[in-house]
This record gives sequence, structure tokens and C-alpha cells, in this order.
Amino acid sequence: MALRAVSVDFEEVNGFGDAVWRADALARHASPAGVVASGHVVLDAELPGGGWPVGALCEILQTYSAQSEWRLLLPALCAAQKPAANLGGASWVALIGSPHVPFGPALAAHGLDVQQLLWVKAQAPAERLWAAEQALRCADVAAVLAWLPQVQAAHLRRLQMAALTHAKLLFVMRPAMAQHASSPAVLRLLLLAQGAGFNAKLEPGALNVQVLKRRGPPLACTLILPARAVDLSALFGLCAGAAPVVSWAGTERKAITLERHHALDSFAA
Amino acid sequence: MHWIALQPELAPVGALDDLTDPVTALGWWALRYTPKVARTGDVLLLEVAASARLWGGLPALLQHILTSNQPVALNKYAQAATSLIALAQLAVAPSSPTQPVNGLAVDALPVHTLAAATPHLDTLSRLGIATWGQLRVLPRGGVSRRFGAALLDALDQAYGLRPDLYPWLVLPEVFEASLELTSQVESAPALLFAARRLLAQLRVWLQLRHRGVLALELIWQMDERRHTAHQGTLRLRTAQPTQDASHLQRLLGEHLAHVRLPAPAHTLRLRTLETSVLGNTSASLLPDAVSTGDSLAQTVERLSARLGANQVLQLQPRQDHRPEQMQAWPPAATQLIAAYAIDKRTRGQNSLKNASQPVATVGAPRPRADVSKRIAAPLALWAQPLYPTWLLQVPIHLAVRQQQPQYQGPLTLLAGPQRLESGWWGGGEMALRDYFVARSAQAGLLWIYRERLHRSGAAAATDEPDASWYLHGLFA
Repeated sequence: MALRAVSVDFEEVNGFGDAVWRADALARHASPAGVVASGHVVLDAELPGGGWPVGALCEILQTYSAQSEWRLLLPALCAAQKPAANLGGASWVALIGSPHVPFGPALAAHGLDVQQLLWVKAQAPAERLWAAEQALRCADVAAVLAWLPQVQAAHLRRLQMAALTHAKLLFVMRPAMAQHASSPAVLRLLLLAQGAGFNAKLEPGALNVQVLKRRGPPLACTLILPARAVDLSALFGLCAGAAPVVSWAGTERKAITLERHHALDSFAA
Repeated sequence: MHWIALQPELAPVGALDDLTDPVTALGWWALRYTPKVARTGDVLLLEVAASARLWGGLPALLQHILTSNQPVALNKYAQAATSLIALAQLAVAPSSPTQPVNGLAVDALPVHTLAAATPHLDTLSRLGIATWGQLRVLPRGGVSRRFGAALLDALDQAYGLRPDLYPWLVLPEVFEASLELTSQVESAPALLFAARRLLAQLRVWLQLRHRGVLALELIWQMDERRHTAHQGTLRLRTAQPTQDASHLQRLLGEHLAHVRLPAPAHTLRLRTLETSVLGNTSASLLPDAVSTGDSLAQTVERLSARLGANQVLQLQPRQDHRPEQMQAWPPAATQLIAAYAIDKRTRGQNSLKNASQPVATVGAPRPRADVSKRIAAPLALWAQPLYPTWLLQVPIHLAVRQQQPQYQGPLTLLAGPQRLESGWWGGGEMALRDYFVARSAQAGLLWIYRERLHRSGAAAATDEPDASWYLHGLFA
């Protein structure tokens, strides 16, 4: 009874705004500045507010050999460049310390305005952090992508504060090993290597995403996002003799979720 | 005629956060009230009779001068009908901005306040003459014989019988100011402290000229006793005209951090190389969604200054079939400067550098939409949905085992070949390649190519046992 009363009370008062949310539900608003839809229906359903939080640090953990950040982020980056996004009309995307050369023709084909891409080739960790903070402070920058293989939690906190102050999208790419270290990130995603743990032949372009941390209950299952470009899938379909047949090419991106466990299973394991 | 004499508050020598030349800066500022501003020593003289009506009368004008935002704080002032009386009142009975003082009567002013009488003060005091009135009643012929005509002329000028003429202060066309350093400076970053004062002066000049600086030059003179260079120069260029002294200061600081001084510097000089009209943005009555933060140009300039211009890049599409030649990454700073130049030309704006040329483009300004449309059409053709999102700077040579290329394990070819034969006309490397999309169990989808050897004949490429494979891109 008492518990019920407290719960009702909490619902009624809710004077904490968005800073407090119930443990069994997602926070309604991930950040005060709103969200930008990630473009992946499955992922949006599991993210608080329904998209990437603006003005918050999002960590993306992945192994060095299997990089798939563009597939995950491109739809959101394209949306962020549009004037309709709640980023104050800013439309530049800054890449800080990317591991390879961003290839414009492919990015443009996915809808990114490559003329508004700023590539900062900083090498030293301190330089990357400084450049990322400077980019966040720029009024014309909508999103910052920073590759920080070596970074301390205190420095990440500083980036988080800068993103919060200036209301920008901030994605930090870190190695998968960092998943056990604590982090001030609001959202942490682990991109798994393709073909790990399930039959890879079904989904050659799928992204396997584990949500490590979010403003909401922990998520035990792995999300599978069909994220391959339609054109590439069609190409594979044409080359079906040499390649696994791609059956979902051109179809609508729909929810495919494997083995939905209870949230607490991950702790028991 | 109505004259106002102003004396600025002079900071003690060696104060850092100060203008290099506060009196001149205040003079430039005072030009907004009247074109007749003159400087005598540390005092500014303003002749305001002609512009008093514009400002709503003399009291209103004086109130405006005293309460508006001056570059240097005012210490004291005085006003009178002629310049010499105003100067004398300033010396004897000055008003402070908070407390006006009624000056002495003109005849009661002491003789020592008249500059022309200074050489004769001893004689005058022995004659028992202490005030202007006593001096004026003396016979003119005798005064002229004894003290020279200069004293009589000054007296006539003071009483308004002769015109007050001064070399009026004008705002220079090009800003140039120099500063002698109080002590010799050994390291370049320490020059920034002195340069701050020059930049503060520059800001006053820019605000009065309604211009923004595009390029400026900092010159330091060095100790000539050493057999090294006597002069060092640092040129700074901004993408957009700016008045923001703090941004210029940060840029200067980043650039000076890379400079080494061969000898201690003793003099610093700052001048503008190019300035441009600054378009003022009109403020809205309603609260506007003000974007806080630096502009892109400022951010790019700061990043380029610290990391190097070749580290901060912007994409430029190119028409080529070789993937590595399809895009160039020139420095973003130079791109922004070029973009501003194009923008300025289309708007028909003229900068100081070419102010003498007639503005011919005003009549037919090219609309911006046309420019963007011209760029957009090739971009659609240039986009390649089947190409990878990461390109490797240098293709990685792949090992081949049992005629199968290896990258973290064997690769399965999914699609291909896409044949590329380009670059044979020179200008870069000739490319004879077959591109494939391959899958690796570890690394996902890869973009690899097989180099076809440039060999004539039937045995050219396809079945070569030692065909060399390269990894060129990642479908990330």
C-alpha cells in the first residue's frame, strides 16, 4: 500500500522534470534539447525519447576490425543537417581524428551534404579532445564525431558538459574494450562484430547493437538493425551466384529482434 | 564657437590592459561628435558649436559625451567659448564627469595657464601681473616689444579676436600603430601581452570605420647588436571580416606559439593589410533565437592555427574515376577565404584594397541560388552508392593464399569485378584495377581491388597466379 502511495505521489508531483524516471520505463526525454531520430526503427524504439539525444555524449564502442559507425549514424547525421532538426540551423558535421579517409561519393549517396563536412586530422589524444571541444563550441556545427581510442572519464565528462552547454550531437567512438570502464556518457552502444553469435548469412548488412547504458531499464537483448544500403543489397542480389542471396533487399526496414531475454538475465550470466 | 577640453584618465606606465595610445583612441572616438577634434599634449579639444543642434543642444551633447561608453575613462573636462579658455579652465577649475564646476571668470584666470606666457612668467610676476585681465590692459605696443608678438596673438586668440586653428585629427585610412616594449622580450608568446594593447586600439579604429579586418600584420623589431634578422613579421588572415579583438588575440596567440625569436624584440607594430565593410546585423525587437558560440570561420581558424592548416580539411569533389582522385581535401581555412571572396564579388561589395576601382558588379548581382544549383547538379552524378564510406589513405597489399586474398582470414568475393582503367594520360598514377566487394568474417564488407599489370597480350590479367590484391575501402 505504502509503495503504491509513493508511486502515485511521484506521478502526481513529478517536480523533478526529466531528471528522474521510473526504473521500469524509458525516460520520456533523453535531453532538454530534444532528440534526432536515428533512422533505425528498432533502435529508436529502445532509445529514450526516440532518437539520439541532442546535447549529450553518446558512446559507440566497436572493435577496431569491424567498424560500422557510418551505417549506424548516417541517417541521423543527414537529418541533423536539415534545417528542420532542432539544432538551431547548424548544418556542419565535424569529424575529429577519423581512422581512415571519409569517402565523399559514398557519403553523398547516402544523403549527407559532404560540402559541410569538416575533417580534423588530429593525432595526439589531447589535440583530439581540444579539437572536439572547439567544434562543439561552434554555432554552425550540428554534430561532432570524435574517435578517441585513449581517453579518461574526466575528459569525457568535459566533452559531455560542452555538448550539453552548446546543444550539439556528440558521438564518441571508442574501442570495445572500454565497455567495462565507467563513463559519463548518457548513452552507450556496443556494435558487435558481424556474424558473432548468429547466422551471418541471413543478414549480410545488419548491425548488431547492444545498448549498454541508457536512461531507462537495461536492455539484455541484441538489436539487429537492417542497415545496408538498398543499392548495395540489390547488387548482391544480382551477383547471387557468387554471394549469399539477399532476400530483404529493398524491403522496408522492420523490427527483427532475436532472443528477447529478460533484462536481468545479463546480470545472472 | 564652443569648445570642450577633455582629459582622459591615464593609466600608470606599464599597465597591461591598456591602449597603446589612449589619447588618440579617445580622439578617434570623439570624432563621432564633431569633425573638429584636436590634440594638444594629453588634452583633447572639441569644437562642438556646429554639431550641438544635431545632438539636441549643448547640455545634451555634453551629457552624451560624459555618459556614453568611451574607450578610455574620462578624468576631467572643461568647456568655454574659446579653446585657450577651455584649456585654462581645465588646468585651474576642472569639472569631473560626476561633478560640474563653474569656472573662473576669464579675466581672473592666472597667467601661467596661457601656454604662450610660460617663457615670461618670471618677468610677468615681477611686473605684478598675475591674471589674464591684468595682462590684457597693458599697452599692446609695449607688450609686443617686450614679450614678442606670440603672446599678443595668443591673448587675442583666447579672447576670440583671432580664429582658433588646429591641425584637426583625422581617422587614418590604414590602421598602423607601434608600441615600444618596456622591456626586451625574449620569447614570442610573451609578445602577445603587448600585442593585446595594439589590438584594443585596432578595435576602436575598426568600430569607427565600420569595418572588419581581413588581414593584418604584426611586425617586431629585434635587437640589432646580434648578427641575426632585425625584424620579424607575422601575417594573419581571417576568412570573414571581424572586429572581434578576442578572436584576433587568440589567433595571434596560436600563431605566436610557433614563432621563435632569434634575438630579443624591443618594438612592436601592428597594421591592417586588408579590411572590408562590416555588414551590421539589425537587432530584432522581439527576443530572437540567438545562436551562441563561435562562427565556423572562427573555429576553423583557431583549429588551423594550433593544429596546422593541413590538418583541418574540407571536402572538394573532383571529376575522376580513380577513387583516390574523386575527392580532394584542401585546408578548410583557404576554402573559407575563397568562399568569402566569391560571396563578396557576387554581392558587389568592395573592400578598402580595391576601393578606388569602380564598382561595376552592383548592377547585375548574380543570385546565389544559381551558384548552388550549378554545384548541385554534378554532385548528384558524383555520388556513388556502391562505394565504401571509408577509403584507405594508402591501399593495403593483401596476402594471397590458394589464389584467395587474405585480410584477417580469407575473403569471400561478393560482387565484382568493376573494371577501372584510368589515368593513362598522366597526372597521377595510371590505374588498371578490378574492384570487388568482399566479405571478411572479422572485418565485415571490404572493397578490394586486383591490380592488372600493364602488359599487352592475352595473358594480361585475369588468370595470373601472382595477381596483387589491395584493400582500398571499408563499408563501415
